[in-house]
Parts: sequence; C-alpha cells; structure tokens
Amino acid sequence: MVTKKVYKKNQLMIGSTGRKQKKHLFDWINVSLLLVFSLMSVYPLIYVLAGSFSEGADYINGGIWLFPRVFSLENYNVVLNDIRLWKAYGITIARTILGTITGVIFTAIVAYAMSRPNLIGKPVIYRFFIFTMFFGGGLIPYFLVINVLGLFDSFWVYIIPALFSVYNMLVFVNFFKTIPEEIHESAVMDGASEFRIFFSILLPLSGPVVSTVALWIAVGHWNSFFETMIYTSNENLWTLQYYLMKVINESSMPAPGVSLPVELLNKVAPETVSLAAIIISVIPIFIIYPLILKTLTKGVVIGSLKG
Amino acid sequence: MLTIKKKKPYEAALEEISPLARRHEKKKFTRSAFELGIMVSFGVIFIAIFAYLPMFGLILAFKSGDGYLNILDAIFKSEWVGFDNFKAFFNDPDFKDVMLNTLGLNILQLCINFPAPILFAILLSELPWKKIRKTVQVITYFPYFLSWIVYGGIILALINSDGIINTVLLKLNIVSDPINFGESQYFWPTIIITSLLKGMGWGSIIYVAAIAGIDPQLFEAADMDGATRLHRIIHITIPSIAPTIVLFFILSVSGILNNGFDHIWTFQNQINLARSEVLDTFIYKYGAVNLQYSYTTAVGFFKSVVAIVLLGVGNWVAKKTTGSGIF
Repeated sequence: MVTKKVYKKNQLMIGSTGRKQKKHLFDWINVSLLLVFSLMSVYPLIYVLAGSFSEGADYINGGIWLFPRVFSLENYNVVLNDIRLWKAYGITIARTILGTITGVIFTAIVAYAMSRPNLIGKPVIYRFFIFTMFFGGGLIPYFLVINVLGLFDSFWVYIIPALFSVYNMLVFVNFFKTIPEEIHESAVMDGASEFRIFFSILLPLSGPVVSTVALWIAVGHWNSFFETMIYTSNENLWTLQYYLMKVINESSMPAPGVSLPVELLNKVAPETVSLAAIIISVIPIFIIYPLILKTLTKGVVIGSLKG
Repeated sequence: MLTIKKKKPYEAALEEISPLARRHEKKKFTRSAFELGIMVSFGVIFIAIFAYLPMFGLILAFKSGDGYLNILDAIFKSEWVGFDNFKAFFNDPDFKDVMLNTLGLNILQLCINFPAPILFAILLSELPWKKIRKTVQVITYFPYFLSWIVYGGIILALINSDGIINTVLLKLNIVSDPINFGESQYFWPTIIITSLLKGMGWGSIIYVAAIAGIDPQLFEAADMDGATRLHRIIHITIPSIAPTIVLFFILSVSGILNNGFDHIWTFQNQINLARSEVLDTFIYKYGAVNLQYSYTTAVGFFKSVVAIVLLGVGNWVAKKTTGSGIF
C-alpha cells in the first residue's frame, strides 16, 4: 500500500485537492474557526510555560497569562535538584528505548511468519490472535498473570508485556505482503534461512512501517503510567509520568529529603514547581515532534492508524 | 488514477482466514515452514500467556476470592459462588452512578467527539490557504502526543481557582467567586472539552488522508455543473469517506464501556466521584487497591461481554445501513 506513490510527499500533510477558487465569506469564517481552535489547543502550553518561569508567590495571585510578571528560575532549580525526577527520567528512557527495539523486532518476526504463504496452520493462528483484540480477561486476572510470572515490582514489567501487539502485527503483515515475492525467492535460492531473510532483507526493506510502528510504541512507553501505578510498589521504578502524577496530584514539594532554604519558600509554590516539571517532561516530545509528524502522517497511508 | 486501496488490517486478516482466499494450497513441511513455525510460536506463546491465561482467571468471577492477600489463593482456595458477584454488582449502591457515568460519558463522546474530527478534516480540506492549513495541522496534532497526566496537569493549572480561566471570569464580572471546576457538575464537560482539545486534531488525520484520496476530477466535474460548496461536501466528500467513518464508528461503539482510564483518572478527585467514577476506575480501586478480586473480576467480565455484544450490534447495524462492516 505504501508503495503507491500517487501523492507527492507533501500532499498528504496538507490534504485536500488544491483547487483554485475565489475566496468566499465561508473561507474567512472557516479560517478563523480553525485558527481559534489551534490557539485553544496550543495556548495551555504557553500558559504553563509562563507559569513555570514565575515566582511562586506571585503566580498564586493569579493573572499571569502570557509572560511571567516576576521572572524566576527557582521552580526549575527545585525540580532539577529532585533526584526522583532524574531516576524517573532514567527509567523512562531505558524503558522507551529497550521496549521499542524489542517490541518492534518481536512483533515483526511474528508478522513475517504470518505473511508467508507456507506457514502451517495460519487461519487458526489468525483467529487465535484476532479474538484477543475483542475479548480479554480484564484487569484483575491480568494482574494475576503478571504476579505469577514474577514481573511484579520488576523493571521487566514495562518491557515483556509490551513485546507484542496483535494490531501492530497486522500492520506489519499488510506491509510485508507488498514486498515482491521474487526477493524472497532469490534469497531462498542462495540458501538463506527464514531468520536470515527476515533480518537482512525484509527488515531493511521495511523502513517506513518499522519507523511508524516504532514511534507508536515509543510514544506509548513514554506516556504510560498505569503499569507503574498497578504493577510496582517501588519508588526506584517510577516512570516520568508517574512522578509527574505524584507531583501534580499531591502538589507535594518534590524531594522531601532536600530541605528548602527559607528564602526559597516564597519563591516557589507547589503549583509552579509542578508546571516546571511538566515542561521538563514535554521537552523530549517537543524535540522529536517533527520526526513524529513526518513519519506518522505517512504512516496513515500504511494503514497503521490508531483509534 | 488517484485511487488508493485502503485496506484495514482487519480486512486483510479476515480475507486471509476466509476459506475462499488461498484455498487448498498444499503446504509441505519444509525447513522453511519449520523456521516460520518457530517464529510464529513467539507470538502464539505470548498471546497464550498474556491474553488467554487471564481469561482462565475469569473463574475468579464465580468464586468468593475477595480479601485474600495472595491472589493465587483467591483462585484456588476460595469457594464457588455462581453469579453472586454479578448480582452483588447489580445491587451495589454505586452501580447506577457508575453505569450512568460510563455510558453517559461515552454516548456524549460518540455524539460529539466522534463527528468532530470528521468536520475538522472537512473544514481543513476546504481551506484555500495551504500554509495556514499546514500550520493548523502542526499545532493541533501536538497535544495528542502528550500523556493525559501532562495535558491534564496543564488543564488543571488553567482551571484552578488561581488559573487563567477564573481570573478572566472574575475580571469580566461573570462570576463573583472563583468557580471550583473540580466539582461534580463540571466533570463531564471537562472530559468532553479536553478530549476535543487533545484529540480532535490528530483524530482528523485519517479523514484528511481519505479526503486527499478522492479523485479531484469528481470535484472538477461538480464545479463544472455549478455545484455549491455545500453540495460538494454532501455529495462527494462525505460519501467518499463514508467507509472510513463506518469502520471507526463500529470500533467506537465497541469501546463504549472503555472511558480511557488515564483521562478519567487525571481529572477525578474526591469531590467529583459521583459523576466521575466509571467502570475502569471502579475496577482499579476495588480490585487492585481494596483486593476485592472476585468482585472486580466479575465487573470486568460484565464489561467485556457487553463490549463484544456491542461490537456485534454495531457491525450488524453498519452492514444493514451501509453494506460494509468489519466482519
């Protein structure tokens, strides 16, 4: 599907049909509507940015909307000195990198086998997989399995249960089927094993779909907090999102171990500190956002949309 | 020709298992087949452990396993109680509220947040300025990639008593005291509006792609015939993207008991519980926190069964009305 180069690269991004026409009243109303909505979805971030650079005592008086009235870096100072943030950052980065690599390879291997015509028992295996997309045991029985496997309170609870996804497998299968059969045949002639064909021929040919699925998995890992909440009880395993949840929900001052100097206390407020923590957690997403856009907008054609 | 075959993963998979496709290919047990078997066994074992084994755990729903500290004991040492756990849930004083919140929020989402991205995509595609169109897309897609913890934290800062919303309302003398948006009556609107702000942009991308795939000759022909813009939208754009709409509609219907735990959890607090407790949060609290394993397994089972029935119904309705379903 992806090989159908009927669009120029940009066309998907900008959609539509590129008709030339006179501007009507409708166009002006339309453009203002869309701009207002854009503003609404981006403004909260600007507000948080302003708040995070504000002095705590000043912020809680309200009224900050675009720029800080009393500029202060103390919020960042407090957050960046919180050892829990760095631990959580480390766990999240480790989880995202490891989870993405293993998740993509594991899922793609299975998908490769499922895309081959000579796999024995394929229809049964398909049914076996697809049924689980629509029916499951629910939270508690799943928790039980995690427990029995000894994954509770282990870093691997972030990695192993996320190794495989039926949905992503189907996306891979769809793509692998578009790869010309001759490539496979000639590799077989040369005596390559299926594993060899997969790793040295198929995977390198599957750049677009691999990067699309990889980004989905990575964003999922980066943003998830539920596993931490339910499958761990150890502060050393906190992920970034879970740390943020703690900081925001309890509006607790980070780092109980670090006692704040008295002169700091009116410079920071729990709210502004949590805003600074939010900004720090958003930075990586912001940095890779161009890559996300480039990859995932193409990914839509691949069929790897996520509802 | 600008036609693109948009085959969904489901459809392709179903084609695969349909008996008509690839009929009677003699499959020999070769070295290649053996290796493929090993490859696929990774997935089969994984799904057996992480999807089918939990289904075995559903027997908890028919036992009296509440209160056991060891969840394995809860399965093997407790007694059979038949449908008592289900009955207990239906008679739970919270049952009505939980179901009302779960269904109410989802039906609202289906009525508002489902069509919104379609409308958004159509408006985008009607925009004659390409640069603005691209800017709007780049901006509105962004929040989707933030977690609900982050986006929720941002929104909470905005609607706080010292946040910008209250400041503006006070300045304009619309209210005399700051509104506490954490109260029950504001929960549903908060969920719907934040859903739109975070998800409408990205949600539109699939429809944008679908609209981009429409043959421009259709529009040109319509222009030639003097069709107005509204005519074009109603008679060309919408029918062309209808299959995409149907697919996503069915999937949304089957997710009607899924509220998105992260989203609800972020905005839930002690004072809005009456309007914010949904099945997902209920199961988490009673099961994982209060150790009422059997009770919440029953609730989860109930949820799964309703979801699968709804999927079937949604599919059936879609097939009857539009002639296409997902299976």
